[in-house]
Parts: sequence; structure tokens; C-alpha cells
Amino acid sequence: MASFFRLAFRQMDVQLRMRVLSLWSLGLYFIQPAIFSAVSMFLSQAAGNAVPDLIYTVLGGGIMGMWSGLVFTSTYDIRADRREGTLELIVGSPTPLRTVVGFRSLLNVLAGATSMLAAVLVAVLIFNYSFSSIYLPGVIFSFLLLLFALWCMGVFLANLLAWSRLSGTFVDLLELPVALLCGFMYPISVLPDWMQSISVIFPIRWGLEAMRDCLKGSVIGAELTMKWLIALGISFVFLLLARWLDGKVHDHIRITGELRSV
Amino acid sequence: MMKSLVRIVRLYLFQAWYSYRSLFAWSTPFSYMTSKFGYPLFSMMMFVFIGKFVGFTDPSYIVLGNILLMPITNGLYGISMTIGNERQFGALSYLLGSPAPRAPLFLGRALFHILDGFLTVCIALPIAMLFFDIQFKGVNLFLLVGCLILITIASTGLGLIMGTISLRSQDGWMFTNTLGQLLFLLIGVNFPIQQLPAFLQPVSTFLPMSRGIQAARMVVNGAGWSNVAGLLGGEVLVGLAYILIGYTLFRIVERASMSTGSLDSF
Repeated sequence: MASFFRLAFRQMDVQLRMRVLSLWSLGLYFIQPAIFSAVSMFLSQAAGNAVPDLIYTVLGGGIMGMWSGLVFTSTYDIRADRREGTLELIVGSPTPLRTVVGFRSLLNVLAGATSMLAAVLVAVLIFNYSFSSIYLPGVIFSFLLLLFALWCMGVFLANLLAWSRLSGTFVDLLELPVALLCGFMYPISVLPDWMQSISVIFPIRWGLEAMRDCLKGSVIGAELTMKWLIALGISFVFLLLARWLDGKVHDHIRITGELRSV
Repeated sequence: MMKSLVRIVRLYLFQAWYSYRSLFAWSTPFSYMTSKFGYPLFSMMMFVFIGKFVGFTDPSYIVLGNILLMPITNGLYGISMTIGNERQFGALSYLLGSPAPRAPLFLGRALFHILDGFLTVCIALPIAMLFFDIQFKGVNLFLLVGCLILITIASTGLGLIMGTISLRSQDGWMFTNTLGQLLFLLIGVNFPIQQLPAFLQPVSTFLPMSRGIQAARMVVNGAGWSNVAGLLGGEVLVGLAYILIGYTLFRIVERASMSTGSLDSF
């Protein structure tokens, strides 16, 4: 057990120093979401609304920061390992790649949560957002579920990058489409039906919807429980896919002795 | 005199072509195309859906603004990378050590990005007009093309400045990216500049593309030369000022590197 925690501490410590504490990450966690939130607010103002919908404009920006931070840090980790020649060493070490990637993604997700924290602070301190009508236990549970969903997707994307270099091109493109499909800054109902159908495969969508329902005061009921269960179920599917990819990466290195050419 | 001029033009064109081709040393044509059309398209859709949610029934303002911003992918990101990567790939010392005149070396990096950016917006605009039912009727096409060329050229000034900053800062790309995203907010892409708070509106007037985008919108709505001449004149001045600032910055950084030998060392 002690060795497990030592591994966790070391991995997260290195991750924090090397990747998370950089101006680039700060831009992803705070600047980009703030810009999208600001555009959303000005659009709301231009449309004649006296007050913007804080759940979507400000807190939506927080989710955006969490996702952008995760998608780039998790995938850049593997790219950097491949470039620096440490990917083979990690895969060849007794600690499975999925464990290393798991701890790294955990730190990425936790670091991304600061984006949400900043969004909540902005909503409360600048826009006087009130917590009086929210269903707090539901919000907390939904948020934890959202973090879990993000972590599972982070682990999956990192393994996808380790398995195939080409997937990086597609992963680069994922940032905005996922934000678009999961309705980070607007309700899903705004999207056309075909886009709503695609978005069902992302656990973030369900976690986010559940959290917004609780922020609007919904208490536990069949609909909320269903959203939690779907988010949890799809997250596990992503985790299983990550495990399958991890197996393929280990098979590949056993056969060829390298991963750089993948 | 003539021989010297031909040499400079030749150098300018060679630099332009090689610097553009060198982009594909690290980028595949596929990822280049996705970065050119992917991010702008998805960000446009994001703003269209945000607009729909907050109550805009007609997305044409947002669509047109985002299409007109497309040259920024080349003008800001492309040029900034082209210049910044000289240092990253270790070619900067050779470039600065060469006796070639600096103006064609530096400004040559913009030429193909201008053509590429113009082509991008020329492809995207008719498609968007078709999809979102924006009417061509009564549009002065020559004037519209003039506006697009001007917007594309004006956007390069920012790229030249940020490219030079990338030579001095390891976080140059982060600053470039942040600036690129601030343009969504500051130059009337998604909503009129008048919607900005009073303290931000002057910032917008000092940024390239803001007048060009405003003029292009007016032309699409049927305005003629006399209506947009002032805006286009202002855009020319702002664009030139930024290109000049970029070139001056580059020369300052180059001089500083000659005295300290430190341009490649951070």
C-alpha cells in the first residue's frame, strides 16, 4: 500500500512540475474559458437579456477549462514521452502504463477543477450567484461523477495516443467538438437532433446535465438517477477501452521493442 | 540597380516559398487542413449555438464574422509559427548569420500565408452564405474581394509581431493563442463592437481587422465604396503600422542577439 501511494505521489509530483504548472496550462484552464464566457455574456446582452444565465455562461466556462486542460495535457504527456524517448521506458517498467497514465490524468483532472473553482468564484463574487435554490448533495455527487467521467476519457485518450501516433491529429480536433456536443455553454436541447444523438456517447454530457439539474434545484428522482447511471456506465466503457488499448501497446512493444514508429 | 532589385524580389519569393513549405516539416497536409478549417468551423458553431440559446434567431452575424476571421489562422498562427520555429529547429543562427537583406527575409514569410488565407476565406464565404442563406444580391463583389484581401494582409502584422515575440519567449505560442482567442471578443466577430464596455472599445479600434470586418459586413449588406472608404483607409493604416512594428521588433531583437549571442539560448 505504501508503494502505491509513493508511486501516486511521485507521478503526480512530476506531472505537476513538468506539465501542469505552465503558462500554456493556465491559458487552457483560465484564459480560454474566460474568453468564451465573455463572448457568451456579450451575446446575451446583445440579444437583449438583462442578466446572463450564469449556469451556462460562467459555470459552462469552468467545464470548458476542465475539458480543454484535460484533453491537451493528457495527450501531450504521451507525445512528449514519445519525443523524449521515455515512452518505451515507461511501458517497459514493472508499473503498467495504465497506472502511470491514470495518476497523470488524475492530476490533470484535479488541476482542471481549479478552472471550475475560478468560475464559481466569479459567479458568486462578481455576479452574486445564489446557492439558495440548489440541491447541494446532488451537485457535489454530479461534480464528482463529472470528474470521474473526465478522468476516464483522459486515460482513454492517453492510451489511444500511445497506441497510435496518427490518433493525435484527431485528438487535437476533439476539444471543441466535444464542448459543442456536450453543451458546455448551452442546453443540449439547442442542438439539432442528430447532434444530440451523437452526444449520448460522452459521459461528460450526462454528468453535466445531472449537475445542472441539481443546480436548478432538482432532487433525486428517476430522471436524475438515470443520468448518473448513464454517466457512470459510459465512463466504465471508456475505462475498459483504455485497458484494451493498454494491452495492445504492451503487445506491440513486446514484439517490436519500440513505440516511436507507431 | 535593376540587378539588385531582381535579387531582392527573388530572395523574397524564395523565402516565401521555402518558409511556407517548411510548415509541412512538422505538420501533415491533413492536420494543416483541419487546423485551417476545423477549429474555425467548430468555434463558429459553438458561438452560433450560444447565440441561439441566448435568443438570436438569425445566426448570420456570427457566421459572417467568424468566416471573416478565418485568415487569422494563416496571418497570426501560421506566420508566428514560421518565424518562431526557426529558433526551435535550430535554423535561426544560420539565418541571422547570412548576409541577405532582412526585409525580404522577414516579410517573405507572410506572402504565401496571405494567398492561403485569402483562398480559405474565398472558399468558406460562399459555402457559409449558401448554408445560412446570406444573400449575395446587391453585393459589390469586387469591393468584397478588396475587403477580404485587405483583411488577410492586415492580419499578418499580428503574426509578424507574435513571431518575433516567439523568438524571445518560450511561451510565445501561448501568447499567440491567447491573442487569437481575444479577437473573438474584441474586433466585432460575434457581436458589434458597440456592445463592448466603453473601456474596451478603443482597444478594438487599434487592432487590425476590426475595420476590415466592419467594412466587409457593410458590403455584404449592399454598401458601396463611398460608404466603406473611410473604414478601408483606416484598415490600411492600422495593418501597415502592425507590419512595421513587427519588422522593427525583429530588427531590435536581431541587434540584441548580435551583441549578446543569446537568441538561441533560452
